[in-house]
Amino acid sequence: MSKILRSRNTGLILVLIILLIAAKILTPGLFSTYMIINTLQNNAIYAILAVGEFVIILTGGIDISIASQLAFVGIICTKLSCDHPTVPGVVFFLLSIVLGALCGALNGFLVGYLHMVPMICTLGTMYIFRGLAFVVSGGEWWFAAKYTQSYRWWAIGKFLTIPMIIWWTVIIMVIVGIFLAYTSAGRRIYAIGTSRESSAVAGIKEPKVTFYAYIICGILAGLAGMLNTSNYAIGYYGMGEGFEMTAIAICVLGGTAITGGKGRMDGVAIGVVIMAVVNSFISMIPGMSVWQKTLQGGIIIIAVAINYFTERSAARQALRERGALI
Amino acid sequence: MPGSNYDRDLTVKEGFVLSKFLVKWEMILVYILLLINLILAVFRTNLYFQHGTIQSIINAGLDVSPMVLGMVFILLLGDIDVSVASQMILGGMITGLMMDHGVPWIIAVICGIIICMICGAFNGFCVAFLKMPAVITTISTSMLFRGIVEIVLGENSLKNFPKWYNKIGWFNVGPFPLSMILFLIMGLIFCFILHRTTFGRKVYIVGNNPICATYSGISVTKVKMQVFILMGFMAGIGSIFFIGRMGGGVSSSMGTGYEMTAIACAVLGGVSTNGGKGKMYGPIIATFIMAFLTYTLGLLGVDPNSKKIFTGVILILTILVSTINKQMIKDFKLRTMYHNNKNIEALHDRTNEQIKELKKQIKSGKGDASKLNAKIAELKKDCAEKSAKLWEDQKADEQRAKERYSTK
Repeated sequence: MSKILRSRNTGLILVLIILLIAAKILTPGLFSTYMIINTLQNNAIYAILAVGEFVIILTGGIDISIASQLAFVGIICTKLSCDHPTVPGVVFFLLSIVLGALCGALNGFLVGYLHMVPMICTLGTMYIFRGLAFVVSGGEWWFAAKYTQSYRWWAIGKFLTIPMIIWWTVIIMVIVGIFLAYTSAGRRIYAIGTSRESSAVAGIKEPKVTFYAYIICGILAGLAGMLNTSNYAIGYYGMGEGFEMTAIAICVLGGTAITGGKGRMDGVAIGVVIMAVVNSFISMIPGMSVWQKTLQGGIIIIAVAINYFTERSAARQALRERGALI
Repeated sequence: MPGSNYDRDLTVKEGFVLSKFLVKWEMILVYILLLINLILAVFRTNLYFQHGTIQSIINAGLDVSPMVLGMVFILLLGDIDVSVASQMILGGMITGLMMDHGVPWIIAVICGIIICMICGAFNGFCVAFLKMPAVITTISTSMLFRGIVEIVLGENSLKNFPKWYNKIGWFNVGPFPLSMILFLIMGLIFCFILHRTTFGRKVYIVGNNPICATYSGISVTKVKMQVFILMGFMAGIGSIFFIGRMGGGVSSSMGTGYEMTAIACAVLGGVSTNGGKGKMYGPIIATFIMAFLTYTLGLLGVDPNSKKIFTGVILILTILVSTINKQMIKDFKLRTMYHNNKNIEALHDRTNEQIKELKKQIKSGKGDASKLNAKIAELKKDCAEKSAKLWEDQKADEQRAKERYSTK
């Protein structure tokens, strides 16, 4: 029982419940099934990006190029599918995975094998991917009329009355969650995030693990790019600017330590839901939309501060228990 | 005091060596700058030698310059600050609002700078006292500050700024742009602060090893706080440059991405993001490189969005080049030439040293040259034989290990 009380997720769920009650009072329309599905559908992209970012943050790095990767892969898929309307959507779904993996491999190679600082490296690749997205698109915009039905099915097609994009998000979360928690490869990601030196002594090849972690992130970013264009049926080279910040915010909100090695997938899932509620909440109250950035920034700062204080109190608790033993 | 410890000569005795000076990172940056100028002069000859082209390039590129100077200090601490652009806009907004209400310009400008310093102090408080990671703190404060500007200004923009703001962005003193003169003066002051004062040395030691700094009696939190407030101050100065360049107007969406340019300039100037490594001169030259690069590409007909690719590639390449050092070459040699065998590596190192010593003797004319040459040949042969033997041993070991595991 005390373990449940001390767990961070309990606090997050409490915050979520308070938010939901406030939302229920202020905007009663939020609780129709249609609204819930709509909210989840609009935030699914953030969730997919956040899962990728989560894997990177666990290794102790950070990837700020995911939004540019999203734009790059999204633009390529859009352009190809609009130029060749007869090709089924599944091709582009797979293509986005391959392209995303390539983008991630570039980051992974630079960070893992050439030992660049993740922040600076991904800053550079952020410029590169965004520029490539412009070059590929040639400054063109694509609108709903140009998208084919089979391309759009991958996001808005319904299975059991729920849009596919939500299914994809859930599937990705479950797979990556199981991968991180129960497979040896996943545990290695945690290990290098916790301590590079001891994991190297334990025989873990840090460059290789980092490389694959960035590839996972790239795959998810590429997938998000295809699903984003498919969901909103709009494609232009500047799409998704600032999404990386939201993804990082979700991870931090979910209790992931930015220094690496700490964090769980269920925390990220709760972070996604909190962010979704806050966003839709803000957009439903008239005149509040200008507050969105400020509130998001404030939420992240408070979340990190809470992370810090809970960690410190946990350390103090451990010290006290040790003192009691002596 | 003869004989006492205070008597020792503590001056650094490394003299001026031309060959070393020429391959310094700062000198390489100068070459890059000259190269860009050369390309521009060759491909756009008419434009290049026309009066005013270079001045306008420098004027256009230097609106980010004050923040580069502050960013160097932040990076030297091993931290990062991505909220500077938002701080800059917030400070500019405060100045503009006060000017709108008829406050004398001097008070308005000072208030703008003070607001930026308060923003910096808030960042510093979170990073130094709450020990939050700098990346996440400044990402969220950048959203926070820009959000405040959005709330206050909405879709409006402020137009009422002191007249001399525009001069900073556009005015030339004789053949030199005013912004360049101001930037170089500021650069000199910052060089002095970083390289000639105790505060500068404290920044280096905190960046290199905070624990060591604590044990030497340096208050790490205080130094970090000071640096972040300094960054805020420079963001305030940056708002003057920026608004001057923009023709005296501020709106909430202006200046996005300036923080990345500032970081890119500092990193291009050879400042390590791990902290504790880098000099002030490099970033000053790198700021000019950035200015010339952006506008050279523009003049050569590359569209502004594809310029991003070049910026990114150059950023990554420069960092890669600066990380290639002796250790990396050594590791590479160990992996490729010495079959991952430390014994062979050590043997080669020792032999090389001995050969170097002997060659020095030959050069100085001491001893018989032919005898010494014979000795060198002998050493080389010995080394080759021994390393071959070690390599054989290693292979045999590996074979044995393989057999043992395969039987299991």
